[in-house]
Amino acid sequence: MNARRSVPKGFIGLLGVVAIIASACGSSTTSTAPSATASEAPSVAAATEAPSPSLVNITPAPIAAGPGPNGGTVVRWFIGLGAGTQPAQIGPEQAFITAFNNSQKDVYIQYEIVDNTQASNILKTEIAAGNAPDIIGPVGVEGLNLFQDQLLDLKPLIDSTGYKSNGVDQSLVDFFNSLGQNGATVGLPFAVYPSFIFYNKDLFDEAGLPTPPTKVGDPYDGKPWDLDALRTLAMKLTVDKNGKDATQAGFDPNNIVQWGFESQYMDNYNLRAESAFFGAGALQDSSGKAVIPDYMAQAAKWYNDGVWKDHFIPTANQVTSDLLSGGSEFASGNVAIDEGHTWFTCCVTPSAPKKPFKFGFAVQPTVNGKITSPLHADTFSILKTTKVPDAAFKALQAIVASGDLLTAYGAMPADQTKQQAWFDSIDAQFPGMKLDWNVAKQMLAYPDIPNHQSNVPDYSKVRSAMQAFGNAYRTTQGLDIDAELAKLQQTLQGIFDEATP
Amino acid sequence: MARTSRAVPAPIRRSREGRGQLGPSGREAVWGFVFVAPWIIGFLLFTIGPLIASLVFSLTDFDLVRPEAVRFVGLDNYARMVADPLVVQGLVVTARFAIIAIPVTMIASLGVALLVNSPRLFGRNLFRTLFYMPIQIPLVASTLVWIGFLNTETGWLNGLLGLAGIDGPDWLNSATWVYPALTLIGLWGIGNFMLINIAGLQSVPTELYEAARIDGAGPWSSFRRITIPMMSPILLYNLVISLITTFQYLTQAYVLTNGRGDPNNATLFINLDLFREAFVNNHMGYASAIGWLLFTIVLVMTLVLFFIARRRVYYAGGEA
Repeated sequence: MNARRSVPKGFIGLLGVVAIIASACGSSTTSTAPSATASEAPSVAAATEAPSPSLVNITPAPIAAGPGPNGGTVVRWFIGLGAGTQPAQIGPEQAFITAFNNSQKDVYIQYEIVDNTQASNILKTEIAAGNAPDIIGPVGVEGLNLFQDQLLDLKPLIDSTGYKSNGVDQSLVDFFNSLGQNGATVGLPFAVYPSFIFYNKDLFDEAGLPTPPTKVGDPYDGKPWDLDALRTLAMKLTVDKNGKDATQAGFDPNNIVQWGFESQYMDNYNLRAESAFFGAGALQDSSGKAVIPDYMAQAAKWYNDGVWKDHFIPTANQVTSDLLSGGSEFASGNVAIDEGHTWFTCCVTPSAPKKPFKFGFAVQPTVNGKITSPLHADTFSILKTTKVPDAAFKALQAIVASGDLLTAYGAMPADQTKQQAWFDSIDAQFPGMKLDWNVAKQMLAYPDIPNHQSNVPDYSKVRSAMQAFGNAYRTTQGLDIDAELAKLQQTLQGIFDEATP
Repeated sequence: MARTSRAVPAPIRRSREGRGQLGPSGREAVWGFVFVAPWIIGFLLFTIGPLIASLVFSLTDFDLVRPEAVRFVGLDNYARMVADPLVVQGLVVTARFAIIAIPVTMIASLGVALLVNSPRLFGRNLFRTLFYMPIQIPLVASTLVWIGFLNTETGWLNGLLGLAGIDGPDWLNSATWVYPALTLIGLWGIGNFMLINIAGLQSVPTELYEAARIDGAGPWSSFRRITIPMMSPILLYNLVISLITTFQYLTQAYVLTNGRGDPNNATLFINLDLFREAFVNNHMGYASAIGWLLFTIVLVMTLVLFFIARRRVYYAGGEA
């Protein structure tokens, strides 16, 4: 009798325990985690801007099967991987879509705006559920890599429609064409973000130092503008609490209050990003072997020495300290030089009550006799699961041609004829400062090819390995960089071997 | 319990006999089911459904961005887990953190509950509110505040230690100190456990303390021989929930390390590894297998706890 009663009781108890654990394990803890973002520059801007309104409320209900209200083929546009989710951007997007939908009867754009921090995961889920949108973007090179297998090759559509990227330099067209796998064209040129030197003019004036050159080939203080010149200059601009700079005897590295150099927002100390102004190269040779390019090894040592020996680059703890505004290093006013992309104008204004400082642009220094300006780019793509490629391509052409969207996104146009308007819009944000946009224009001639965000097998894992390496030299004194690089190469080889069938 | 189980069939019998109406206990049972139905439906749809789906996924190489290429791989994902150093690391990190954080959290929440339940404390309600308040702050926001607090350069904690002549550690970048740091951050969230403990403390009959006092028991003796045994079901509940939440630990580690598990994978909790596999590396099939490993571990540990509880936990109204 007892045995008979105890079995179901125990079983029910076990079921109860399972149910409790299943319920508890299904709680919301996981959902609060930030998502891995597919965006590059725009996500940085997003972090500094006002939070989005409820995106659920501004995304209209999906249209069931059939034509849109204007009688056109419905094309779904997914916004959120990069720019486009901020309140100031949503209005112009809606205005563009309304105008486009009213202007013709062939295509009806249905938009879907999702939170930037969740966009990548939402898109993955939609793809996995067989509910993928037709168009995605704006999206950076990195975002494209995450969805590389799902992107439609636009070449047949470009050929059949005779589409031309008017006003875009052929080198940039080639750059955009290089972003797909196996020669596929996966995005139309939209926006470019060359990189260069941002400098805090007030700190230069205070130190009585001339600002770096704004023209390629010009010297700095009578000497070549190269990596050594940058190092020396950065050390002179690194100051301790007693006012001594890092080149002077008695400099106190434990009490630094101002740093000479930083590469802020380079993807969390990602070595591949931080080293990109040293040169360009692939992480894998033609035989599939993992490679650490020489320029990258050189950069790793330069950064490591810069942090621990010469002290002109802040440690990770210094970066997150109040002295550097908890990760807004350049805007803190305590960093003299920052190597950044054009989008970095988003993040140079200090928070109140600090007053804005004057800043300027300078060209990249030469490294081993060459200039390299790491390039970021934004584009729009069509997913290969689309059932309406022709209609989607028509919408895509209109989107990339929209000057209003470029302005709303704060994106430097790939189309040269539209660039001046964008320069003017940025200048208007910084009254009293004369920003030399010729620097940005010049730097477009020195893109890093292959790009530092170019696709590799299992891109996400490689990116993590590169970030972990950078984090190590920002947090650990006395690292044997050669040994660490050897370990990194081994890690990369493991990732490539696992990813390659 | 026994009375209810005998009473439930009665109205059904009457119904079959054609009397048409349920008795009071039958109506009570029906309404009971009606009221719990939303939870049951939600549980089936949103917990059991995904649970079964994840079990199926775990037997495939399901990739989030290549759903069309999904293949059945049998137990390959489970075999791969055994040899995956990151899974092993995730389990070690989680276990290490559990060993430090769970006892500290349990003791601290009980200690604070005793404190704010003391009749001698002036402004008890104010202190209860203050200790509970941090729970209301989103985890991401509070973690960012803690990053500043623990910063070696300008953080308040090392600043205070410095005043005492102590050179504070690198809390967040040291593989050793990051666990105490995370435990410290976790102490901010003991408000829920504190509330449950207060409820438990208030349910202990005061007659027991009075009788003990008459018998000459001091505060420590009363605490050890009355409070702890009478609170044991509450403590067991807190322990089980702590265990589950520790194995679910993710947000703070993600925010602290940008989701990488720095320094040197010292914060690569098993749930963070799972998250990375699923949503960074897109290996949903493999991540599902890790999820089932996690589920099995938590289930076994909970069963062990319940088994131990048979001897160690005192239920005033008989065994639950």
